[in-house]
Amino acid sequence: MTSPFKTPFFAVFQNEVLLNSKRVAPYGLMILFIAHAVLWWVKGPAIALGWATNSDFYIVRNLKGFSFLLGLPIFTAVIMGDPVIKDFRLGIDPLIFSKPVSRGEYLLGKFFGNFFVLVCCQAAFTLTQLAMQAFPTSQMIVQPVRVLPYFKHFLFFVVITHLVLAALYFTVGTLTRNSKIVYGLAVCFYPVFIAYGFLFLKGLPLRWRHVLDPFLLEAGSPSRNGFGHSADFLNQFVVRYSADMMANRAVMILIAAVCLAILYVRLAIAERPANVEQLSLLNLSTAAQGVYYDSDSFQEMRGDRGDAPDYPGKEMLPIVPLPEVTRANEGFRANLNKLTAAIGIEFRLLRTERSLVVIMLLAIFLSTFELAFYDVVPSYSAAYSTSTAKSLLLFLVGITVFYTGEAMHRDRELKVEPVLWAMPAPNNVLLLSKFLSTFLLALVLVVLVGVTAIVIQLIRGHTPVEVFAYLTVYTVILIPTIVLTTGLSVALIVLLRDKYLAYAVSIATGAGLFYLYSQGFNHWLYNPVLYQLWTYADLTGAESTRVRILTHRVYCLAVASLCLALAHLAFKRKSSSKGSGVNGRPGYSVWALLVAAISATVAVMTGLMIALP
Amino acid sequence: MLRINELRKTYSGRLQALRGISLEVPAGIFGLLGPNGAGKTTLMKIVATLLEPDSGAVEMNGINLITHKDQARQMLGYLPQEFGFYPSLTGEETLNYFAKLKGVSNGKERKALIDALLERVNLSPARNRKVGEFSGGMLQRLGIAQALIGEPKLIIVDEPTAGLDPEERVRFHNLLSEAAGEDVSVILSTHIVSDVSNICSHMAVIRHGEILASCTPAEALDRLRDSVWEASVPRESVSAWKSRCQVLSSQMFAGLARLRVISKGQRPGEEFNQAIPTLEDYYFDLVSQPEESHAIAS
Repeated sequence: MTSPFKTPFFAVFQNEVLLNSKRVAPYGLMILFIAHAVLWWVKGPAIALGWATNSDFYIVRNLKGFSFLLGLPIFTAVIMGDPVIKDFRLGIDPLIFSKPVSRGEYLLGKFFGNFFVLVCCQAAFTLTQLAMQAFPTSQMIVQPVRVLPYFKHFLFFVVITHLVLAALYFTVGTLTRNSKIVYGLAVCFYPVFIAYGFLFLKGLPLRWRHVLDPFLLEAGSPSRNGFGHSADFLNQFVVRYSADMMANRAVMILIAAVCLAILYVRLAIAERPANVEQLSLLNLSTAAQGVYYDSDSFQEMRGDRGDAPDYPGKEMLPIVPLPEVTRANEGFRANLNKLTAAIGIEFRLLRTERSLVVIMLLAIFLSTFELAFYDVVPSYSAAYSTSTAKSLLLFLVGITVFYTGEAMHRDRELKVEPVLWAMPAPNNVLLLSKFLSTFLLALVLVVLVGVTAIVIQLIRGHTPVEVFAYLTVYTVILIPTIVLTTGLSVALIVLLRDKYLAYAVSIATGAGLFYLYSQGFNHWLYNPVLYQLWTYADLTGAESTRVRILTHRVYCLAVASLCLALAHLAFKRKSSSKGSGVNGRPGYSVWALLVAAISATVAVMTGLMIALP
Repeated sequence: MLRINELRKTYSGRLQALRGISLEVPAGIFGLLGPNGAGKTTLMKIVATLLEPDSGAVEMNGINLITHKDQARQMLGYLPQEFGFYPSLTGEETLNYFAKLKGVSNGKERKALIDALLERVNLSPARNRKVGEFSGGMLQRLGIAQALIGEPKLIIVDEPTAGLDPEERVRFHNLLSEAAGEDVSVILSTHIVSDVSNICSHMAVIRHGEILASCTPAEALDRLRDSVWEASVPRESVSAWKSRCQVLSSQMFAGLARLRVISKGQRPGEEFNQAIPTLEDYYFDLVSQPEESHAIAS
């Protein structure tokens, strides 16, 4: 009997795990989940309410929250959406399907390989909470160390729930071969699930609600999520799996199996006919008309070498003369034209990023979510703009860092770089186009959040809408932040020359800074996002505070400018040496040095101004 | 005329990719022939301003391409060995973008140029199709189209025909022939001998970072006149022939080994008949000789 570890299924499974181990997403998710596990352990409601942090009730409470909140259903799509799509996109599918691998083995290997990775990521949350039992804080109630309940409840409440979602995303992604549809589905998850709860589940008897709720939000826990019960009762509460809950899990597994069965039946290994037809219009010939080299050439000597091709093509295309064109490669105007063209292309390429639709919607949703429950007076617009600006900061930092990295490395990954770098476009065009397109993208997000906030303000009747308040807050707080983080990212990527290293350094620096800020070390000099350092009144009130904030923003812009100049100087693509430009004018490197010097001077001067009391 | 003088490049302090290459490339198509790893791509990258040499000079029309990269790029058309385009752009959009980067700022002129380029490379019917849907041959033609933008004086094409079918190959050769002119040099780097024999007016053979020979294809064939012999022999005798004379190639056919050997002025054996020399013979003859003998010869 063949060992299960030597089957094609296991080979595909193993390969998926290996591929995922080389991706950033799983590690990013693990870090996020670990951070949340620690946060929930330390800052959860348990201490205030006297709940034991490792009681059965609290473990399940946390796991349900983890499974439903935190965007986990969306992250599931990130891992499960495109494993098969990638094979087809990279053209690996014919290599795989020409091997003795059945469709079933391939699909199951792909599915379970990625699902295993997803479960490993999710397990980071549970394992961290399990480990945190060894680090109780003061006033925290911790029962004797427990191990089994963590694994048991994790399997029951998290793994099986996400098995269904994973199967759904995997099926849709594989059948449509379009990851945007999967991400669209993931973005729609919360509205759809909330609508499902309100319109369908709510009207059913409790038993059926238990059976048909994929997240088991109401099942297995004390009523009202524990609130209103005594701490003693909750600490002694044992979560038992009722027959309804077991039926629910069985239904979920069945749904997952049905999804995979549908996929198995409907998966077409062959290329879509539409594409084949399109490609065949101008595709390579059947090679029957001419052979450029044959093995008989040893005997059939060719005497007319050098005169004409010895294997005439099917057709000689008529020579099409190229029209004469005027070219402008020197001067400010010529470079501005090139920069405009490059920004247009870069921005368009950014818009086609698959993850953008998820990130943007998530950012808009989370930045404006709070506003739906907001009740503030007297200036609604001031409060709305301040709230959205503060919520948006983290997203803006993340988006600028991530998409700058994508833009900076796209040319190399698509192998456009050698063609592009041989063009007579100066380095500042190549660098600034990436910088400005990412800036534009972040600006679009800011505008969308602002518009959403205004719409919510109008819907809730919190009038009048003061557009000036939004403009003030976004212009002073958000825009310089975007410029700075984008400039820093460009410099970091140019200097480190590795996208993932730059991401790691950015994340580590960001996390370190936010930790320092939370500990009270949030001096203006190293707090470029002005985290916890401003209120709306500061922007419109006393002259001294306003001037200090504005000086700080100039400081940020100067640092950004310095970063861009340094990136230009360290850019791998070299310009003319010795700073020589055309016709004796200074070259781009000389200008970059000049900008760096001016920026550094301004940064030092403004830095001193804001550092001094 | 492109002049390359004593060009040296060493990677990571150890691998000597170019060992003092000197070369003169006249107008027309110049074939740079060499096996994989000979240093062709390194040389092409340096001439295309993408790589810094350790020492040496590259000059074209009085401009030093190493020190004046910005000016060099204005007269350059480059098609690298491995290249790609943005898959979400159409063929027309791709050419439009590169034309703008090459300084063709007048919209009407740019449109006329792109129309003519697409027509010339036979991609007009696919102009609005996304590049991601292009076949290998179409991509290669789009690649040469972008290299032709802006009336380049020096066109560098690195291994352009590998992977193309015969028809696409002929098309590509025709495109290069059309592009080369009285004041335009085309450097065709390849390891496929027939590419050079079909379209190049001059050629050089490179191996281990050194130029082994630089001449016209006709001169190359002249050097082997009356020296190439051919025979079908039993397989067992091949090793004996190899020890007795310089074997250019041996290939099994119908149970016998077809041998092609070099023997200057003397028939190697009764079985052998004189053969008309080819560029493949010249190439095999050069690259199969030990390194020291070339050093002495050059």
